[in-house]
Amino acid sequence: MADQKLSLTLSSSPHLRSSDTVANAMQDVLLALCPVTIVSIIFFKLHAVFLILVCLAAAALTELIFRKAMNKPSSLHDGSALVTGLLVALCFGPATAWWTAALCTFIAVGVAKELMGGLGWNRFNPALFGRVSVIMLIPIFTYLSSIFVRLRPALGAIDMVTQATPLALLKQGAGLPSLANLFVAFPGGALGETSALALILGGAYLLYKQHITWEIPGAMIIAVFVVALLFGQNPLYHVLSGGVLIGAFFMATDWVTSPITPQGKLIFGAAIGVLLVIFRVGLGPTEGTAFSILIMNAFVPYIDRMTKRPKFGEVAVGQSAVTAGQPVSKTS
Amino acid sequence: MTVKTFSRGVFLPHYKEFSENKSITAIPLPKEVVIPLHQHTGAPCRAVVKPGDEVKAGQRIGESDAFVTAFIHASVDGKVKAVEPRPYFTGTNVESVVIEVDAKQGETAWQERDVSKLNIDQIKDAIKNAGIVGMGGAAFPTHVKLSPPTAIDAFIVNACECEPFLTCDHRMMVEMTDALIAGARLIQKVVSAPRVIFGVETNKPDAIQALNAKIAGETGFQVVPLDVKYPQGSEKQLIKAVCDREVPPGKLPFDVGVVVQNVATCIAVYDACRYDKPLIERVLTVTGDAAARPQNILARIGTPISHIIEHCGGFKGEAGKVIMGGPMTGWAQTRLDIPIVKGTSGILLFSQAMVAETQHMACVRCGKCVDHCPMFLYPNYIGTYAETGRFDLAAEWGAMVCFECGVCVYVCPSNRPIVQFVREAKRQIAAARAAKN
Repeated sequence: MADQKLSLTLSSSPHLRSSDTVANAMQDVLLALCPVTIVSIIFFKLHAVFLILVCLAAAALTELIFRKAMNKPSSLHDGSALVTGLLVALCFGPATAWWTAALCTFIAVGVAKELMGGLGWNRFNPALFGRVSVIMLIPIFTYLSSIFVRLRPALGAIDMVTQATPLALLKQGAGLPSLANLFVAFPGGALGETSALALILGGAYLLYKQHITWEIPGAMIIAVFVVALLFGQNPLYHVLSGGVLIGAFFMATDWVTSPITPQGKLIFGAAIGVLLVIFRVGLGPTEGTAFSILIMNAFVPYIDRMTKRPKFGEVAVGQSAVTAGQPVSKTS
Repeated sequence: MTVKTFSRGVFLPHYKEFSENKSITAIPLPKEVVIPLHQHTGAPCRAVVKPGDEVKAGQRIGESDAFVTAFIHASVDGKVKAVEPRPYFTGTNVESVVIEVDAKQGETAWQERDVSKLNIDQIKDAIKNAGIVGMGGAAFPTHVKLSPPTAIDAFIVNACECEPFLTCDHRMMVEMTDALIAGARLIQKVVSAPRVIFGVETNKPDAIQALNAKIAGETGFQVVPLDVKYPQGSEKQLIKAVCDREVPPGKLPFDVGVVVQNVATCIAVYDACRYDKPLIERVLTVTGDAAARPQNILARIGTPISHIIEHCGGFKGEAGKVIMGGPMTGWAQTRLDIPIVKGTSGILLFSQAMVAETQHMACVRCGKCVDHCPMFLYPNYIGTYAETGRFDLAAEWGAMVCFECGVCVYVCPSNRPIVQFVREAKRQIAAARAAKN
C-alpha cells in the first residue's frame, strides 16, 4: 500500500454533484428560443438570418475581447453570451441596420454584463439593457448610420406588407389581425414577437426543464390582462402582441436579474405587467416591456429582502403534548 | 404504508448496491493502532497511560473531569509506544495514544449482566464509562444527550442512513436487531419516553421488516417508514418528519420533547450495559466505485485506514479520492495513516471519474439552493457574502444556522463551494463575537 503512488483530491464536502450546470441551462434556453427564431426566419428570410448572425457574432466577440482585456478566463462555453446575442436580435425588427444591432449587442454583453463583473454580477438584464440603449444613444446611432449606410448588404425588400405592430394598429384604430392569426404567427414588430404559440412552446419547455417557474410569467401575464381590462382595452391583444410573451418567458425570468423566492417572483412579475400596460397606454406602443422589466430589475434586492422567509423552526410548529419541552419537575 | 418526510432537501442517487447485501465481518487487527484522545464534541481527554505501559483491550487510557466529554479506551491488547500528536481526519494533529498490538490477544471475557435490573443511574454510568458518543458522525457524548433537562415524550432511533453509499446501519438493523431493540429500550428507560420510534428510509425494506417483526407486542414501539430524501437523517429534519415538530434555531431536540440516537449508538449502549463493554470497535462501510471489495466491516477504533483498505482489496483502478464518512458530509483524505474513530461510519474510495469539478463560477441566482435548503436559508446570499468578506451579511442570511448538509452545493449549477464559504463565515463571525465580548 505504502509504495502505491496516490494522487488524492482534497476538497470540501459534499463530494457529489448533480448534473445541472449553467452551460446546460443556457443550451436549453437557446433550444427554447428555436421555435420563434424559425418563425421569424420564415417571415423575414435573409433579413432575420443576417440580423441573428450579426448579434451572435457580436456577442461572442465582445465577451472574448472584454474577458481577455480584464485578464479573465474565457467563459464562452457557458453559452450566456450567445443567449444574450440571440435575445438582442429577437428584440429588433427585420429592417434594423446591422451596425445598430451589433452596437446594441456590444453594449449588452460588454457593458451590461462583463463590466458589471460578468455573469451573476449584473443587476440589469443584459439583452434589454442593450436593446434600450438604442433609444438613449440616438445621436450616436444617427452618426453611425451616416458612416455605415454604404455597408448595408442588399438582402432585397422585406416581403411582408405589415410593418406596424398590432399595438400601433390598435392605437390607430386600424384593421387588426385576428386573434387566431396573432396567436399562431403574425409578422408585426420584432423578430421575437412573430408567434405567440412559438414563445409559449419555448416557455413550456423551460418550465418542464425547471429552469424557470410559473410565478413570474404567470403574474406578469395576468397583470397585463387585468390592467388592460381596467383601461378598457382588449386584454388578449395586449397579451399576445408585442414583447409580453418573450418578456414573460425569456427576459423577466432571467435568473440573475429576478427575485429568488416564489412570493418575490409574484410581486416582480405582477409589477412588470402593471408598468407595461401603463407605459403602452400612456407613452406609446414600443419598448414598454423592456423598460418595465429593467425598472423592476433595480428593485430585485429589495424584493428579496422584503420577502425573506423565516428559517426552519422560527415559526413554532407542533409543540405537542403538555409535558413536551417543559422542565422536569423535581418529583419525577 | 404511509411514508413521511420533511420539506425541501434533495433526492440523491443511493449508491447502496455496492455493499447493502454484504454481511458484517470482523477484520484482522493491524500492527499498530492510533487512538486520538479527542474524537468527540466537548473537552479532550488526557492520557492516563505512558509509553511502555502494557494495556488490555477495554482499559481506560484517556479521561477528563469535564461533563461534556467521552472516555477513551484501548481497543487492543498491546504496549503503549507513544503519546503524541498524530494526524487526524479533519486535517489537524490530535494528541493520540499509539499502541503496538500484541501478536497474541487475550480472551476478553465480558461479564454478562441482566440489563432489566439496571436502574437509570446505573445505565447512565455504564454509558459514560464506555465512552459512548453519537456514532452517526457528530460524535456528541451520549450520556450528555441522555440527561435532558426537560420531559421527553418521544425517543427516535435515527435509522435513516440518508447518506448515499453507507450501509453499516442498514446491516446492523438486519443482523443485530435484538441488540438494537434492547439498546433502544435501555435509552427509553433513561429518558422516560413513552414512545420509541424507529425512523427508517424505505430503501431498507428488509430492515423495516426485521424491526416490525421484533417489536410486535412491545408497547410504545413503532417503525415509521421515511422517504429516501437527503438529509432525512439530520436530527431536526428527522424530528420534523416523524413528530411534525420544528426545533427552533439554536435549540436542541429536547426543547421539543424529543431525544434522537443513531442505530450504532443504541447497540453500543446495549453492549455497555449488558457486557460492561466500552466502545472499542465499530461497524463501518468500505465502499465506493474504486473499492475492489466493498463490504461492511467490524474494526477496532484506531485502526489506520490503510490497513482497512488493504484488507478490502485496495483500489480498483486509479484512486481519485478517499473520504472518511459519507459523500455529502465526509472528509477527503490525502494520507492513509489516519485512524478510524468512534464517529467514522464509512471509508469511500472514489475513482478519478467520481471526483467532482473544483472550479466554480459566480452565483447566477438560479434559486435552486434556496428551493432545496432544508433549513430554509439563503445559501446563495450566504455564499456570495462570505466569498466577498461581508460576514455580517452572511450571518443575516443564516450562516450560523447552517448545519453543512451540502444540498446547496449538490444542486448548484455554478458549482459553488457554499459549505466551504459557510465554514469560513462561521469562523469569522465567531471570532468577531469573541472580540466584542
